[in-house]
Amino acid sequence: MTAAAPNQPKGLYAKLFEPKRLGIMAPGTSVLVYAGLLFWTIVVLFPLYWLLVTSFKLPIDVNEGPRYLPFVDYEPSLHAWDYLLVEVGGDTFRPYVNSVIIAAISTILAVLAGSMAAYALARITYKPRFASILSFVVGIIAVIVLTVVAGVPWWLSLIVGLAIFALLARTVARRFRARLGNGDILFWMISQRILPPVIVAVPVYVMFQRIGLLDTHIAMIITYATVNLPIVVWLMHDFFLSIPRDLDESAEMDGATKFQIFFDIVLPLAKPGIAATSLLVLVLAWNEYLLALFLSSVDAQTMPLLVAAQNATRGPQWWSMSVLILLMIIPVVLIALALQRFIAKGLLVGAVKG
Amino acid sequence: MQVTLDKLSKSFGPVQVLHDLSMVVEEGEFLVLLGPSGCGKTTALRMIAGLEEVTSGRVHIGDRDVTDILPKYRDAAMVFQSYALYPHKTVAENIGYPLKLRKVPPPERDKTVREVAAQVQLEDYLTRYPRELSGGQRQRVALARAIIRRPAVFLMDEPLSNLDAKLRVHMRAELKHMQNTLGTTTIYVTHDQVEAMTLAHRVAILNHGRLMQFDQPKTIYRDPANLFVASFIGSPPMNMVDGNLSNGEFTGPGFAHTLGKDLSVGPAVIGFRPEDCSVVAAGNGLIPAEIYSNELIGDHTLVTCELHDSSAAPHTVTVKMDKDFEAEMGAQIAIAIDPAHLYFFERESGNRVRV
Ligand SMILES: Nc1ncnc2c1ncn2[C@@H]1O[C@H](COP(=O)(O)OP(=O)(O)OP(=O)(O)O)[C@@H](O)[C@H]1O
Ligand SMILES: [Mg+2]
Repeated sequence: MTAAAPNQPKGLYAKLFEPKRLGIMAPGTSVLVYAGLLFWTIVVLFPLYWLLVTSFKLPIDVNEGPRYLPFVDYEPSLHAWDYLLVEVGGDTFRPYVNSVIIAAISTILAVLAGSMAAYALARITYKPRFASILSFVVGIIAVIVLTVVAGVPWWLSLIVGLAIFALLARTVARRFRARLGNGDILFWMISQRILPPVIVAVPVYVMFQRIGLLDTHIAMIITYATVNLPIVVWLMHDFFLSIPRDLDESAEMDGATKFQIFFDIVLPLAKPGIAATSLLVLVLAWNEYLLALFLSSVDAQTMPLLVAAQNATRGPQWWSMSVLILLMIIPVVLIALALQRFIAKGLLVGAVKG
Repeated sequence: MQVTLDKLSKSFGPVQVLHDLSMVVEEGEFLVLLGPSGCGKTTALRMIAGLEEVTSGRVHIGDRDVTDILPKYRDAAMVFQSYALYPHKTVAENIGYPLKLRKVPPPERDKTVREVAAQVQLEDYLTRYPRELSGGQRQRVALARAIIRRPAVFLMDEPLSNLDAKLRVHMRAELKHMQNTLGTTTIYVTHDQVEAMTLAHRVAILNHGRLMQFDQPKTIYRDPANLFVASFIGSPPMNMVDGNLSNGEFTGPGFAHTLGKDLSVGPAVIGFRPEDCSVVAAGNGLIPAEIYSNELIGDHTLVTCELHDSSAAPHTVTVKMDKDFEAEMGAQIAIAIDPAHLYFFERESGNRVRV
């Protein structure tokens, strides 16, 4: 018996929803798809429009609103811009610079350290004994107990803790076979981002308070870089896996060190990944609110805090918030546009035959 | 420089893929590692390069034991099966990278790059990127990157396998010429016997991770050490007919052949090359057979003959005849073989039985 090809369907439904050729959409489908896209574009863009028009409104236009169209519904005014950029310009400018410094430096650190870690995980086989890791935890617990409960000086308990770890790792731990692999390490790292960061906010606050770094750039940078590190490792790991190992080995044969291989060969090829990851991490740091709330007050205050503060004293100052949010959006858009050309594929063409 | 492998073994977990590989590659020699897919050629090469850890055994380059040193200190250059060109570097940068790593000053580096590029006819492509090159050009970039350093040893892993047939023949000649000019010890991996026979000073044949034979191409062809080598080398391959060897007589389907020597090995295989036999009139030659098909190849005709084998499944042998040869399919004929070109093997072990 032979299976005949299905008959070509006829009628209105087929006309609308059967494409004429492969690789194009049927007319009915395109109408539906574009209608959906149009709807979603409006949903996404309307808030931006609303920010823009609100930033030019007087309080009365907001309170007696809604007023939609400048020059038609209401007379636009520069008062909010004037107030924030000129009258109290310094108070706007400082958090802005803080945000730029903190987001930029923390992103660079996280991407640099994270991509190196990701590269190592993509190329080197790690197999730590599970028992050795437990020994390390025991060592840490010993340090804490000695310092906090027994009142031993911290450096002394650190030495004792390390000694306990070394002793356990070299003796007891060797008897256990169970080992972790690269996948376990990777999952352990990303699991640090599964818990909400608020869990660590209080300990981190206390830590920086103790060492006197509260409300400083350095505390914010360290915190943001650390918090974003797992994301970088996770994303970059995949990019590095997609780069043929032959290239590393070829460079190795040519005489390169591991660092030369990383910076000369692998990193340039991972540019699309670096660009995408940097953008993501930068935006996360740029918009971060919760940790900033704990760690900064005046000197290291960032833009999200300033925006939120507009709500505080005299009720919600929508016009000021709009101005500040617009100011926050601009650099992100510019950076996204700048990085976009790197987030293109095809860098690996020509590396390997076939 | 001389390369010495001493009982080199490799296991991936429980699977042993290389068994006690020992050989000495002489200074300036072109050695080809030949074997079917998966026999461990790449693994052996990577162990010499230092890219793969050895399970046991030692590797010496010159009089240095390099078993435990990093690839970059072994003074070997490798041409990868995949070429492994750096896609973000131009041809000149690719070729010059080994010199850059050795901190050769740019003017001198440029000069050397130009010289080497000229050697492989790439002068006009120095500013291109690998993606803008054809397969053969990429292959030459990989080659240039290997020769620019003047290493002690070249390691090449099927460098010609992805080229089309014509280019392959061309590059084969270039490779052979270049190796001869440079005089660098070369270890070349391939599963293509024509490449092996044409390029090599000596060929090492591997099967299932074991060295089957290690000799000059013509010796391997004329005097195969065992059944595997005999059937692997030669195109079309050597004809093999099962039979029994006892009391100095080999008995096969419908024929018997008396040896000059009184030998008894039991189940055995008789082998003869298609070009060492001919089709003759029925009743004359050694093996009675029937014409199964004949194919005109160009300068010769390949005649497939079916043996009169009542016991086993139909058994065919190939005879290489003159281009003018003509015969009806189904015609009864016989195959005549020069006794000097008969090979005998033990069936179980595959070992050669010398008569
Ligand atoms: N990393 C690995 N892990 C486990 N087994 C491996 C690994 N690399 C190779 N092998 C096995 O070792 C054997 C030899 O592999 P190898 O790559 O050396 O073959 P080859 O002779 O180069 O074959 P080909 O001609 O197909 O390239 C194969 O059976 C392969 O499955
Ligand atoms: Mg191979």
